[in-house]
Amino acid sequence: MLAEGYRLAVDIGGTFTDVALLAPDGRLHTGKVLSTVDNYGHAVEDSVGHVLCSSGVAPADVTRIAHGTTVASNALFERRGASVALLTTRGFRDVLELGRFRSPRLYDLTFQKPPPLVERRLRFQVGERIAGDGRVLQPLEEGDLDRIAGRLDELSISSVAVCFLNAHVNPEHEIRAAERLSTRCPGMAITISSQLAPQIQEYERTSTTVVNAYLRPVMEAYLGDLERRLNGLGLTPSPLVMQSSGGLLPAAQTAPNPVFAIESGPAGGVVGAQRLAARLGIADLIVFDMGGTTAKATLVEKGQYAVVAGAEVCGGSVIGTRLIQGGGFPIQAPTIDIAEVGVGGGSIAWPAGSDSLRVGPESASASPGPACYGRGGTEPTVTDANLILGYLNPSALLGGALPIERDKAETALAGLGEQIGRDSVQTAYAIHRLVNADMVRALRSVSVERGTDPARFTLFSIGGNGSVHACDLAEMLRITRIVVPPAAGVFSALGLLFADPEYHLVRTFYRPFNETNPEDFNGVLATLRGEAEDLLRRQGFSDLSVRHLDAVAEMKYFGQSESLPVPLPAGRLSRADLLDVSKRFDALHQETFGYASPAEDRQFVMVKVVGRGITEGDRVPEAIRRADKSAPSPPARQTYFGPPGGWVTTPVSGRDEVGAEPVAGPWIIEEFDGTVVVAPGWTMRRDTWSNLILDRVP
Amino acid sequence: MNRSVEAMDPLTRELLYKGLVGVAEDMMVTVIRTSRSTIVKNSLDFSACICDADGNLVAQGLALPGHLGSTMPALKGCLDHFGDDIAPGDILLSNDPYAGAQHLNDLFMFKPVYDAAGERLGFLSLVVHHTDMGGRAPGGQATDSTEIYQEGLRIPPSKFHCGGRPNVTLYRLIEANVRVPDQVMADVRAQVAALETGERHFRQVVEDLGPATVRHGMMELIDHAERMTRASISALPDGEAEFTEWNDDCGLPSEPVKIRVTITVAGDTIAVDYAGTDAQTSGSINANIEWTASCTYAAIRTALDPSIPTNAGFYRPVRISAPQRSFVHTEHPAPVGSRGQVGYRVRSAVLGALALHLKGRVPACIGGSDYCFAMSGRRQDGRPFLCVETHVVTGHGGGPDRDGQDAGPYCLANAANVPVEVLESEFPLIVEEYGFLPGSEGPGCFRGALGIVRQYRFLADSVLTVRSDRQHVQPWGLFGGSSSTRPRLLLNPGAAGRELPSKFVQPFSEDQVLRVEMAGGGGYGNPFERDPGAVLDDVRQEKIGIAHAEAAYGVVVDPVAVEVDRPATARCRRRPAKSTCP
Repeated sequence: MLAEGYRLAVDIGGTFTDVALLAPDGRLHTGKVLSTVDNYGHAVEDSVGHVLCSSGVAPADVTRIAHGTTVASNALFERRGASVALLTTRGFRDVLELGRFRSPRLYDLTFQKPPPLVERRLRFQVGERIAGDGRVLQPLEEGDLDRIAGRLDELSISSVAVCFLNAHVNPEHEIRAAERLSTRCPGMAITISSQLAPQIQEYERTSTTVVNAYLRPVMEAYLGDLERRLNGLGLTPSPLVMQSSGGLLPAAQTAPNPVFAIESGPAGGVVGAQRLAARLGIADLIVFDMGGTTAKATLVEKGQYAVVAGAEVCGGSVIGTRLIQGGGFPIQAPTIDIAEVGVGGGSIAWPAGSDSLRVGPESASASPGPACYGRGGTEPTVTDANLILGYLNPSALLGGALPIERDKAETALAGLGEQIGRDSVQTAYAIHRLVNADMVRALRSVSVERGTDPARFTLFSIGGNGSVHACDLAEMLRITRIVVPPAAGVFSALGLLFADPEYHLVRTFYRPFNETNPEDFNGVLATLRGEAEDLLRRQGFSDLSVRHLDAVAEMKYFGQSESLPVPLPAGRLSRADLLDVSKRFDALHQETFGYASPAEDRQFVMVKVVGRGITEGDRVPEAIRRADKSAPSPPARQTYFGPPGGWVTTPVSGRDEVGAEPVAGPWIIEEFDGTVVVAPGWTMRRDTWSNLILDRVP
Repeated sequence: MNRSVEAMDPLTRELLYKGLVGVAEDMMVTVIRTSRSTIVKNSLDFSACICDADGNLVAQGLALPGHLGSTMPALKGCLDHFGDDIAPGDILLSNDPYAGAQHLNDLFMFKPVYDAAGERLGFLSLVVHHTDMGGRAPGGQATDSTEIYQEGLRIPPSKFHCGGRPNVTLYRLIEANVRVPDQVMADVRAQVAALETGERHFRQVVEDLGPATVRHGMMELIDHAERMTRASISALPDGEAEFTEWNDDCGLPSEPVKIRVTITVAGDTIAVDYAGTDAQTSGSINANIEWTASCTYAAIRTALDPSIPTNAGFYRPVRISAPQRSFVHTEHPAPVGSRGQVGYRVRSAVLGALALHLKGRVPACIGGSDYCFAMSGRRQDGRPFLCVETHVVTGHGGGPDRDGQDAGPYCLANAANVPVEVLESEFPLIVEEYGFLPGSEGPGCFRGALGIVRQYRFLADSVLTVRSDRQHVQPWGLFGGSSSTRPRLLLNPGAAGRELPSKFVQPFSEDQVLRVEMAGGGGYGNPFERDPGAVLDDVRQEKIGIAHAEAAYGVVVDPVAVEVDRPATARCRRRPAKSTCP
């Protein structure tokens, strides 16, 4: 690969668009502007232009552009996707609308699931049927397709999803249907389930296919526009887009398959933290990211984060892959296992009965925002509570760009306090602790609930808000070390620069272990490996040494619902190798669930290959130096750490003033893009990479 | 109430509650990830909760509401039997409907948890519906049993683990009595593993908050729920309402069975009385009083403040009474295997009475035929199989301000359907159709949800046990809304087909077809007052036909333009509902 020059990352969030420009020598330029919701590309063009200009970097010296985006998830959330038609097997027109009949809310007769993305009149039935073992029970009725093609024309439909029953086992009918349709309707965007996500469960696969078809025109238009704007600035590399799985893919491959990039936004921070931690020699960490409406946690163990096979999107916050929620759209897309709870800086506190209170899930979001933003918000939020407790700067945030009105926070909290018989400080502290109790659920769900003791993990705190709560959360989990990386507030952007291009390929191989012959298994595996090699080669990873392939077989005991990924050795597998794979499955089951049943029948579910394009050097630089200058430090202020200590005078400084020698908390670090609260009982120092390292005093 | 308990910081109470709910959720996640059978992994027919040292329910995870009201009686059955003879490392087990449990397939397990000093702090509770517990019919859902002895292995309160050691005899006894031992024993092990996961997490909660706080906090959580419940009941108008529901039969061919309920709201209490309900029958769909109470609590719960924690405190202000030896309060040795079905009727009866008392707050009857299916036989290689699926509801009844959502999930029967592709890959059958039944809704100003069809073709000789209902009295409408269409079960639909009763056990041979047409939801308000635009949209979505739009709603749709013919509609709507316009 070419030696890398300047690397540029852009991360679009619901509120802010962050930019990071990294020089080969580790100098870092950043930018943060409000997102432009009507046309996201506008803010990107603006902020990238600004960062290029202020840094003096020539656009031609930028050799790589990485991009994380919430465009797909926002379009889905706001239902601004395309008008889609769905083709189903005859007799199964309603699979999409029937769903799974699970309600996320007990005792609530008024709960309604979101209406289907394709209404019934646009769901067309095709005569055809494939059996569970792939046999053709009824041939494809091509006449149906011609009739449907005519209707699609009349209805001006431009995006079609095709999902036939058991097509994950035998894709023949879907492929022929797509061919027939594209002949009859040239230019039609056609998504077929067997190509997109060849996985069992018709509702989930249909939903995946439909979501893709729904987002495809949006994503194609957006990425096209983005590339034009970047070209306009003189930038030549085509952007690589972060996928939900944590890998990067070229924009040209993301545009037709947006379903794999729905969780693109949160992924950048996780991958960045994992790569930076590896550089620092930290193998076990929990990445914690607190935003305005949600808080997220991801476990990285032995240097790896978990990637799950599917997720539910748009259903409100979920804790990882826990229970079937029923409130959103399931998608079968590899997704970093990020646990999320519905509380963040903007979450609103409200009274519960006459003596207690609750926080969230309602959020003041960016508009009207917390009361202290002075933009019309009157309800007390977590940010207001943190302000009253002295954790946040009482006059301005974002390096002065966001003025703060402390009295408005005071009024909001006093109002709530009156209803529950507490003063405003007690109320603020109660909010702070309650929101911690919720956020710790996300942290627990990725650790304790998997049988992993968080105490031996490092808490990696990214995002602008989270480091105010990090010490408390760490204490609740008996974690003794916290790392706050530099540019924590724009770390989701910076992290994009550390990620690799990745292809996730999957084939259903639903077969009992005892009936599996090595020839068939090797056939599927070789096909997938060949495809991955080919895709990487086309991205310029021509040398074998920069292509990294991992293969796993998903296995389960017969009848079990969840499968476990068993790593496969390189090359062809002999019968003995297969037996070994099966033994490894038992061991993995024992490790994951606490028991194994070697006497029981096992079965394969699918085979997966992940192909990664790696660099010879490290994508993470030796060190990072913030190029932008920090503001002068504000004076020490009174900060409340609860009983018995109460109010404590706490020094405040910038990151650069922290040295390599530990200082004892309490201490507050204020930066342009975030605040770090070092609680009493903790020490703080800065390492050569400019990370803040917080250690619990034993 | 104890003064020291009263003095507890409400914030600490909230923290404890969040911690305990987390423990229950942990147990549920473990079961989902490790269980083997379709009914556990896809229908999620299991529940987890935390009880205090005396067996009072304190906190629950997301689960089947029907199970949760039954945890305390089942645990009480165990406590009554063992008294002080309970020690660390024990797991108590019961499935005895005459010792507080539900039906034989539901194995209740309780694990006592202790503080460092060896004082009992509480119990972790986990109930799982197991695919088979032996008995004369596979899956335990036969509706025509006449004594509990026919229904399978009855396990009175027992120690499944004693001081940390598994009771191997009991394990082997279960294994030897069930039809699909691999599946059942795997699920049993998943259940035990989940209790152990829960115990580890519970210990952490105790470490965080201290044993004294946990012990007092659990009492305070119960008292707090009671205060909230009483406040919420006080906000309802005082008064009385009655409602009558019908079950098709008693499980054997019979006359319809009547369930009569009277609800009285007085101050901060609610009384629910089943006087007037028919006597206990000889079929297996009788309900024991614990099941009746469970379903009653679940229904009442929907009318109260949704933020009330569901625990023992919620039950205190609600009094439930039923005549002994009645259909909803059986005596030994009446069979109860299929009592689940009557539970739906108990819930709809209570909701019907609430709807009449609290006008404008409760929707018309939920759609569905309480359908449940078990297929058993042998595969070509001789191995046995047993496939169980439930499809209880089809969607909501119409409400005071909106339609019942088609295929809307129902919080009181929170069970997922089974994916067709999973069924077909694991069992010898093909599903030929699964979709809405156009025109099957209960018409109303706000209509009920559509009914649903599921049609199977069998690829092996097998025995089918079907339990369903609503052929005699359909899901009802309210305030002028109509009931939905009659559900049907058809053997080999077509010219040679014939209709089957709502409940049966019979052999099916290879290539025979069963068509199950489930009822839709009831309508709310006069269908002739329904917005013609909404009727037109249903026509466009092919959810109802043009003739039905006219007959049921008085809306005339031009078949060519597919638009409402306003003058014709106005003329039609001057006629009484339900008569076809000329």
